[in-house]
Amino acid sequence: MPSPTDPIPGPNPELDTDMTSGTAVAQNQALQDEFNPYLAMAENFDIAADHLGLDEGVREVLRTPDRELTVSIPVLMDDGSMRVFKGFRVQHNFHRGPCKGGIRFAPDVHLDEVRALAAWMTWKCSAVNVPFGGGKGGVICDPRELSIHELERITRRYTASIMDILGPDRDVPAPDMNTNEQTMAWIMDTYSMHVRKTTTAVVTGKPLNLGGSRGRTEATGRGVMIACREALKKIGLRPEDTSVVVQGAGNVGGIGALLLHREGYKITSLSDMYGSVYNEKGLDMPAVMAWMREHRRLNGFPGAEELTNVSQLEVDCDVLIPCATENQITSKNVDNIKAKLVVEGANGPTTAVAGKILDSRGVIVVPDIVANAGGVTVSYFEWVQDRMGYFWTEEIVNTRLEQTMVNTFEEVDAVAKKYEVSLRTAAYILAIDRVATVYRLRGVFA
Amino acid sequence: MAAIESGLREVDDNLPKTPALDEESPFATLMSLFDEAAAKLGISPDNYAILRKPDRETNVAVPYRLDDGTLAMADGYRVQHNQGLGPFMGPLRIAPDVSVDLLRALAAWMTWKCSILNIPFGGSAGAILIDPRERSRHELERAVRRYVSSLLDIVGPEKDIFGPDIGADEEVMAWVMDTVSSHERHTVNAAVTGKPLSLAGTRENERAVAHGLRVIQQHAAEKYGLTDPATRIVVQGAGDVGGTLARLLHADGHRVCGLSDVHGGVYNETGLDIPELLNWRKEKGTLNGCPGSHETLTNEDLLVRPCEILIPCAVANAVHSRNARAIETKLIIEGAHGPVSARADHILDDRGIPVIPDVLANAGGVVAHYFEWVQNRQGLSWIEAVVRKRLTRFMTEAWYAVHKVEDQYGVRTRMAAHMLAVTRVSQADNLRGIYA
Repeated sequence: MPSPTDPIPGPNPELDTDMTSGTAVAQNQALQDEFNPYLAMAENFDIAADHLGLDEGVREVLRTPDRELTVSIPVLMDDGSMRVFKGFRVQHNFHRGPCKGGIRFAPDVHLDEVRALAAWMTWKCSAVNVPFGGGKGGVICDPRELSIHELERITRRYTASIMDILGPDRDVPAPDMNTNEQTMAWIMDTYSMHVRKTTTAVVTGKPLNLGGSRGRTEATGRGVMIACREALKKIGLRPEDTSVVVQGAGNVGGIGALLLHREGYKITSLSDMYGSVYNEKGLDMPAVMAWMREHRRLNGFPGAEELTNVSQLEVDCDVLIPCATENQITSKNVDNIKAKLVVEGANGPTTAVAGKILDSRGVIVVPDIVANAGGVTVSYFEWVQDRMGYFWTEEIVNTRLEQTMVNTFEEVDAVAKKYEVSLRTAAYILAIDRVATVYRLRGVFA
Repeated sequence: MAAIESGLREVDDNLPKTPALDEESPFATLMSLFDEAAAKLGISPDNYAILRKPDRETNVAVPYRLDDGTLAMADGYRVQHNQGLGPFMGPLRIAPDVSVDLLRALAAWMTWKCSILNIPFGGSAGAILIDPRERSRHELERAVRRYVSSLLDIVGPEKDIFGPDIGADEEVMAWVMDTVSSHERHTVNAAVTGKPLSLAGTRENERAVAHGLRVIQQHAAEKYGLTDPATRIVVQGAGDVGGTLARLLHADGHRVCGLSDVHGGVYNETGLDIPELLNWRKEKGTLNGCPGSHETLTNEDLLVRPCEILIPCAVANAVHSRNARAIETKLIIEGAHGPVSARADHILDDRGIPVIPDVLANAGGVVAHYFEWVQNRQGLSWIEAVVRKRLTRFMTEAWYAVHKVEDQYGVRTRMAAHMLAVTRVSQADNLRGIYA
């Protein structure tokens, strides 16, 4: 039992390895375009829309955010001075339900990025068929330079400023870069005090004792495991004959690898931001995680060789699961990738150029909007539980997550066969078709 | 309060949903346990200051017409203790002699109870100072409706949920629900719990406390090595709580060797025929005179008969400083509210007899009320089996949570329960922060 005297947990600097958001640094224009995940997504959208034969009007509607709000956030700093921060909330599409999407705090947040991420959320929610549209928010600030009290004041004022478009039936934020369950608790408290009633369903990713859901922390990792398992069934590999390389050892990679290990797969390599460990015969995952908890890094784990993160991706294996950051499989290293299956635990780990090369080589890629949708699915479960005020056991959460992920994979696979396209294009076709159908059914308001 | 203190004569085991408190300073009495728990936890002064004071106290005048056309005035109160964990929830009492200080105690007590059971509510308590025996039902209805109207801003499914208590039965709950709904212009049945089944109440409501006790009894028996079917169990009380519990125990093959109601008890060391006794009581209104191979005795005598598990489900302070030393049992489970007095509690502690506290053991009732709220929000009524299964889950989770604290801090169960409650509430308060 944690003691109530423990200090309030703030954003954990150790988790925020990449404080800058958006695209990774590239050396030239061609690479910069390749490294821009939003351009990649726009391309995916067009390919899918062509397959669906969407008319230009509907395309235009689906490309444009429904609503964008920019607010000034005046905050009294600890030293008595006043600073004004800028915040955004973009609601890309609310035809399938209230908007859903994270709020990020970073010094280089900009409106274009938030727009793209909001659209991404629309497709993700639609692909896994949870009744949400996509939204995203951000505040331009550098959390490393702010005290916990300043962060609290920014969060509360930002919440109050966008209150009119928030709510369990309007827009439901979640944690994102540099925001965590403490931030969500502040949002829930601020909203509840303004509307004069407890409203836990206004935000997800809350602490367990404030309307959070059991199984949320490991939801994305569990979803990755399920997506990987379903894809391998199609290939016909048995767990014990399958070698898996996982990039990332946090909530997604670490938990995903641990769960895959439990299912009998051979995890030959795992990495964190400092380096990788490799064992041809398979890593003892519980021991790796215990080492990780104790030493806060993988380096030095006994019974494994060490590799650099660059060479880790090129190790001979059956499955590669990138769960760290975007742009890991690029035109530069794609020819050295030996995996038969790539499961995208992170958002946008494969560039569009590299994706096409993998497709042409017959490598199966389970795309991010399917593979890592376990997180948004359990966020949806949290919202459902908050609305009824009754909280499921972890077992029930996991069972329902399993159903959602398996169904989604089956549906995407069926679309891929029908249109003879990659799983990625199929996922976009499925997602866009669902939103377009609802849009036609509802019609143009007013 | 008077009803509780007056002892066996007036109190039916189903009536008081409140702990036994000192009449002089109920809030101080209740909070002394909290103070001890807070000290053991080393809770921060900030948290302590917040929990020591109710969030809000509302006082309204309740004017209402009497049947003869004259006007009467009553005082109405609602004390809301802490909403860190969610909306307030607590009883509405209709009685002439309720003090604000008592309401503070009842509200805080609800906060702890909901917290221990992991129910997303804070605690509150309210009262209308009217003697229901001196007023007609029509007069009472007018007073209740006026009281609720005056509190509309702070009542509702996500604000404050009313429950029944002394003088406020399920019919009163229906009036509250109707008044809130009429003002809101739509059905708001989740604003009130303890409603009649035909008006969105929950199934198993009246048996919930007994079912919860049975779950706790099973866990406690396992912990203290009293699972042998020959274990002798004495149950004080033969109504919705004691009677139902005795029936459940008997049906599962346990040896219930003592049972009583307000008129007296029966005892047989080799076990009683519980269905026979309860049928007799249903017909005659008393256990007295039921044929069978048992002896008839007083409540006082029953409590000191040898047994392994004693479950007092009737009145407050049944085990007190004068009989605590004479009690021959290995485990006491508090089915009633405060059946073990504070002094007796220390005597039993010295004698090494564990006591499973009311705040955990008889919480099945609060859980049922929470379930009613959930069902109202879902618009779906659960069948008996679902209610029982989920009740078992909540009682079991609470049991393990309390025992984790008990093991960690090496304290008695009653203290562990309070420490768990305080921890959960202060964690929620810390996470939410101070709104400004």
